[in-house]
Amino acid sequence: MAKIVACYKWVIDETDIRVKDDLSIDVSRAQRKLSDYDRNTIEAAVRAAKEAGAQAVGLTFGTDKIKPSLKEALSRGLTEVYWVASDKAESADGKITANILAAAIRTIKDVSVVLCTDGSSDSFARQTAPRIAAILGWPVVTGVRQLEIAGDAATVTQARENSWETLRAPLPAVFAVLPEINPAPIPGLMAIVSAAKKPNTELKAEDLGASFETNVRTAGAKGYAMDRKNIMFTEGAMADRVRELALALRKEGVL
Amino acid sequence: MADIYIYSDKPDVAAEITGFVKREKKKAILLAESKEAADVLKKLGADAVLLISGDGRRINDYAEAIAGLTKAKGGLLLAVGSTVAGRELGASVAGRLGCAMISDVRAARFEGDVLCAEKMTFGGAVIHAEKMSGFGVISVPAGVFEKADPAECGVEEVPLPADARISLIKTQPVVKQGVDLSKAQKIVSIGLGVNKEEDIQIARDLAEVLGAEIGCSRSIAEDRKWLPDYIGMTGVTVKPQLYFAMGLSGQIQHVFGIRDSKLIVAVDTNDKAPIFRAADYGIVGDLYEVVPMLTEAIKKL
Repeated sequence: MAKIVACYKWVIDETDIRVKDDLSIDVSRAQRKLSDYDRNTIEAAVRAAKEAGAQAVGLTFGTDKIKPSLKEALSRGLTEVYWVASDKAESADGKITANILAAAIRTIKDVSVVLCTDGSSDSFARQTAPRIAAILGWPVVTGVRQLEIAGDAATVTQARENSWETLRAPLPAVFAVLPEINPAPIPGLMAIVSAAKKPNTELKAEDLGASFETNVRTAGAKGYAMDRKNIMFTEGAMADRVRELALALRKEGVL
Repeated sequence: MADIYIYSDKPDVAAEITGFVKREKKKAILLAESKEAADVLKKLGADAVLLISGDGRRINDYAEAIAGLTKAKGGLLLAVGSTVAGRELGASVAGRLGCAMISDVRAARFEGDVLCAEKMTFGGAVIHAEKMSGFGVISVPAGVFEKADPAECGVEEVPLPADARISLIKTQPVVKQGVDLSKAQKIVSIGLGVNKEEDIQIARDLAEVLGAEIGCSRSIAEDRKWLPDYIGMTGVTVKPQLYFAMGLSGQIQHVFGIRDSKLIVAVDTNDKAPIFRAADYGIVGDLYEVVPMLTEAIKKL
């Protein structure tokens, strides 16, 4: 049976990032989560597989912290998840990530479609799908808001800045989908319970033979300090607070 | 002089990247995908325009050929404008050449042949300084660099083989239903705190006294489909004088789209909503009470 692969990323929850006074970043207490729009992408893979009589599987690359992601991804309707764990994943750029994912896809049999999210909620670099396609030599379309698979081709709608383009790509192909493609339903209790019984397969980074070399390095990172007044009107009756706000807006010259 | 190849389907961004390249004393070579585009691009102050000729219908049909061209000519960098077509081409070329790509740079300069650039992650919460050595790709959003001084250069036609696997079935122009929020001076924006579609009138009433446009968060446009365009990382980026958020929690993807606003005001019931951290002024309260009251208070001033 043909497989539709949904690539997903287990990311740091940005709401847990602490920016210290010296603008250094503290993520030591940050929780991890499924990258926001990957929920929609997984659902898109599940729906497409149902229509095309294929199997929707997941693929992820991260550090050993990705293990809790397997159950979450499987509870969203995937039948199996493949995962690559490496301590080098934390500093992997778009090149390394795509190398690993493409090498993993080569080992999964009968892949007809690879779906990525257009951008992840951490780096939002929007590189992965075209890079994977380039490495595999498959066609790619990004910014996809509609996807229909029929036989050995897919018809997709690409949302560009001023137009929607309907394109037809022979399979296998890679698509980067927008969250608009479909909603991401919250998994039900049964789905969560059955996820624990579904298979997951670890692929070892060293067995994949993909390179961890790249020609970019991060020389530093600092928090972005938004220079805002953060004035809250908390005193008195609501009518008084509202009037104070109105006066402040007049003083700012925006009325 | 090291060659930098530039592609953008937006001429303004092509001019801005050209400005960056010229100030860095490198050679700016613009890629044009049509005769019409070449006629515009040749006036932007670059050193050369390469007019691609071939059977491709989309710039990415030439990704492999462009990768080959930049490599064969010993290019230093491919810089693409950050649009759907530009990013797709940039990442496709990076994938083919196995090189790094820095997406959506916010600043860039060369130290010799090493490109030092800044990019943002986590919806703009973190700024990274990146150093790229050897050939690489960057994507550049609009407005990052100053344009080059206009000057005309020659156009050279280069026939390139196209990848014909993806066929274009139809193009449908997106009819913008609303106003262009990216140019609005004042915006009243709604989030999921607005319970019913007809309650948008509360926002419209305030917008009327302020002379503001109506905006919204992603869920309002994409899930509830009440308004055509949303503001945020995957939507419209705005920079008004006044941004008034009502019933809008201010997830990081949304705040990314409003961070260049001059003044941000928020009203929300949840005192822990992230929008308050991004706001200059805030009131914790029910928008159904606060906003009509504010509309009246402004009328009386």
